[in-house]
Amino acid sequence: MRIEKCWFCSSTVYPGHGIQFVRNDAKIFRFCRSKCHKNFKMKRNPRKVKWTKAYRRLHGKDMTQDSTFEFERKRNRPERYDRNLAENTLKAIKKIDKIRSDRASDHIKNRLKTGKVQRQKEARKQLEQGIHLVKAPLALAQDSSLHLPKIKVNVSQAQTEENRPMEE
Amino acid sequence: MVQYNFKKITVVPNGKDFVDIILSRTQRQTPTVVHKGYAISRLRQFYMRKVKYTQQNFHEKLSTIIEEFPRLDDIHPFYGDLLHVLYNKDHYKLALGQINTARNLISKIAKDYVKLLKYGDSLYRCKSLKVAALGRMCTVIKRIGPSLAYLEQIRQHMARLPSIDPNTRTILICGYPNVGKSSFMNKITRADVDVQPYAFTTKSLFVGHTDYKYLRYQVIDTPGILDRPFEDRNIIEMCSITALAHLRTAVLFFLDISGSCGYSIAQQAALFHSIKSLFMNKPLIIVCNKTDLQPLDGISEEDRKLVIEMKTEAMKTVIGQGGEPENEEGVLLTMSTLTEDGVIAVKNAACERLLNQRVELKMKSKKMNDFRNRIHVALPKPRDQKERPPCIPQAVLEAKAKQAEEEKRKTEKDLEEENGGAGVYSASLKKNYMLASDEWKEDVLPEILDGHNVYDFIDPDILLRLEELEREEGLRQAEEEADDFEMDGEELSPEEQEALAEIRKKKNLLIQQHRMKKSTAESRPVVPRKFDTDRKFTTGRMGRQLSSLGLDPSLAINRARSKSRGRKRERSVERGEADGGDAMDIDGNQASKKLRLRSMSRSRSRSRPPITEVVPGEGLKDSAQKSYSYIETKAPVLWETFHWKDRQALRHEIKLCSEGERSFTFCALRNLLFSVCFFFWL
Repeated sequence: MRIEKCWFCSSTVYPGHGIQFVRNDAKIFRFCRSKCHKNFKMKRNPRKVKWTKAYRRLHGKDMTQDSTFEFERKRNRPERYDRNLAENTLKAIKKIDKIRSDRASDHIKNRLKTGKVQRQKEARKQLEQGIHLVKAPLALAQDSSLHLPKIKVNVSQAQTEENRPMEE
Repeated sequence: MVQYNFKKITVVPNGKDFVDIILSRTQRQTPTVVHKGYAISRLRQFYMRKVKYTQQNFHEKLSTIIEEFPRLDDIHPFYGDLLHVLYNKDHYKLALGQINTARNLISKIAKDYVKLLKYGDSLYRCKSLKVAALGRMCTVIKRIGPSLAYLEQIRQHMARLPSIDPNTRTILICGYPNVGKSSFMNKITRADVDVQPYAFTTKSLFVGHTDYKYLRYQVIDTPGILDRPFEDRNIIEMCSITALAHLRTAVLFFLDISGSCGYSIAQQAALFHSIKSLFMNKPLIIVCNKTDLQPLDGISEEDRKLVIEMKTEAMKTVIGQGGEPENEEGVLLTMSTLTEDGVIAVKNAACERLLNQRVELKMKSKKMNDFRNRIHVALPKPRDQKERPPCIPQAVLEAKAKQAEEEKRKTEKDLEEENGGAGVYSASLKKNYMLASDEWKEDVLPEILDGHNVYDFIDPDILLRLEELEREEGLRQAEEEADDFEMDGEELSPEEQEALAEIRKKKNLLIQQHRMKKSTAESRPVVPRKFDTDRKFTTGRMGRQLSSLGLDPSLAINRARSKSRGRKRERSVERGEADGGDAMDIDGNQASKKLRLRSMSRSRSRSRPPITEVVPGEGLKDSAQKSYSYIETKAPVLWETFHWKDRQALRHEIKLCSEGERSFTFCALRNLLFSVCFFFWL
């Protein structure tokens, strides 16, 4: 039993799922679901289809090179069973996974940082320029904090007036 | 050894057919069309060709006949004599001679006529010459017609002759008619010869084959021979005589002891003696047949004497070959073909005798000497007298011994059967694993964990690498924190965020309003601001807006009021509140204004309002607008209780009323008001 990777979207294909296509030159294409299979049949290039891992890696959206990837490698020669080794491996898998996902999210965060910085700058500028819409410059001059002024409502009069129509 | 096979001779056609064949061939294979207008040489050539062609064909066919028929002098004398016996040598030769002459004659004819054709001067002449030539050729053939027929018959007969190889091992069976030769033949070979009670059932030679000591023997069955002088013998007997004479065979002379063939032993003995010359140099065996009817011992004295005589003769032949005289047993044998008693013995004896004779002859011949020189059987000479038995390694002996000891070793199959059979028990494959510790044999390692294949991660130095990785990760995280720390200063405070949100909201609102305005610009009615029906441009509102911006609106409100051309009421209000303290009391003013509007003051209750006073609705464009604005002002509370849709409907009605035939009378208004009240009460 092996978990395979979908050829199109690179997601994991568990045993019992998906379709495997064997071409005449003996190359095997595995698909996780019919969406990927149909896209393949349409001869779409996964490197151009936005939602696939191939695209994301190619365009630098996701982490490409990392030492955590070296841990998971298809080994053709089986090792002799060793309980300690097995235990350690199982624990290690979890840790490696965590590290890898952390690194991946950091990668994405870094990628989005420039955008964030830019947006903050824009926000600051907008605040500076548009403050006259919510606080008159005169008031700003008097009180330089950005504490927004509130509308003062005369409660008593308003209440009586409101009662009147009700009476009718 | 050449097998004489006369089956391959081509069919000899009879005279008429022959002619037909050749002439039709000539007609087909040579050009047929000729006209008298052709050049003479061409005509001559045409007819010459035909004549020549016909001659050639005749020549060919006759040649094949002559060549294919065997020449009696060239073949084995046995066959020569046999053919002579059957067909008469002279006649045979004559027929073939006639064919030959015919061939020559035809050649001559053709030659002559071709010579004549060379000088033919017209088509007709050439044609007649050709006709003559062909005609003569055909007559020649017609004349030899009987020969052809004879040859055809011979050919057919020859094709059916038994294929006897004169040079191989042969056994000949001879004797009187009905003695049991053919039944013996049937017994030892696969030949199926007719066996009948009458004499001369077998009319020609028959060949069968039998095996002895891995060698093939031909067995020839002959027709019976009677005791007659040589000249009186008929063809059938001559066949057997010929065979006897020419073939180097072993001879089995059959003797009928019982006399049931119709001939006595004396007669048979007489025959024997008359043809004994033919048994020269041939292994002879005298076979007494039909012993089931009459055993050899039971015959009379004279017969016995005769038999002994024959035996001595036969012995002579044995001695003549150089065999031992003691070997009497092989000379006189008894058997019965009916009971199959002694048949095989006879066959074996005959085969043996023949074989010995042939071997002897061959040994004596020169060829054998050449052969013998070249053969040498080598035997290793023993070096010393030491015995060398076969050598078996000790281990093998031990293993063999062990195998003999332990009969049963518990196999997996036995285990399976013990534990419930094939379907129930499944063999534990992990039993014989070679692991570092035996406790680990039954461990189950998961193959998949968290979406990864565990086998891909297994690595003997995984711990080391993991440590490295963790160290790296620690470093990286420290760096990350430092970076993050730098970044934090740039964020907006919550106050600032609130303000930003407000700004954005306001902006959006403005944009929306602008858009609405833009889209409805064409259909929106242009109302001067002073008559704002939606009460948008009120000082109250202005005041609110200004205060929301953080400014003090009172000054602005005052200014607005002072600037506006007020109504009397407003002015009075102003006068009343000189200090203008209650800046925020716009709402109150509004409410009281309504009340005041509703309630007519005494001073004005009956009289007409002054011209200066603005009647709501007068300034309006059309009467419709006038009318409903009138209602709106006169009965505002009532008006405002209606839903805006109803207001629209009412406005529309009023419009219709005003625009229609009906003038805007008090009655109409009253009606309207009643309907309105009705609606209201609903």
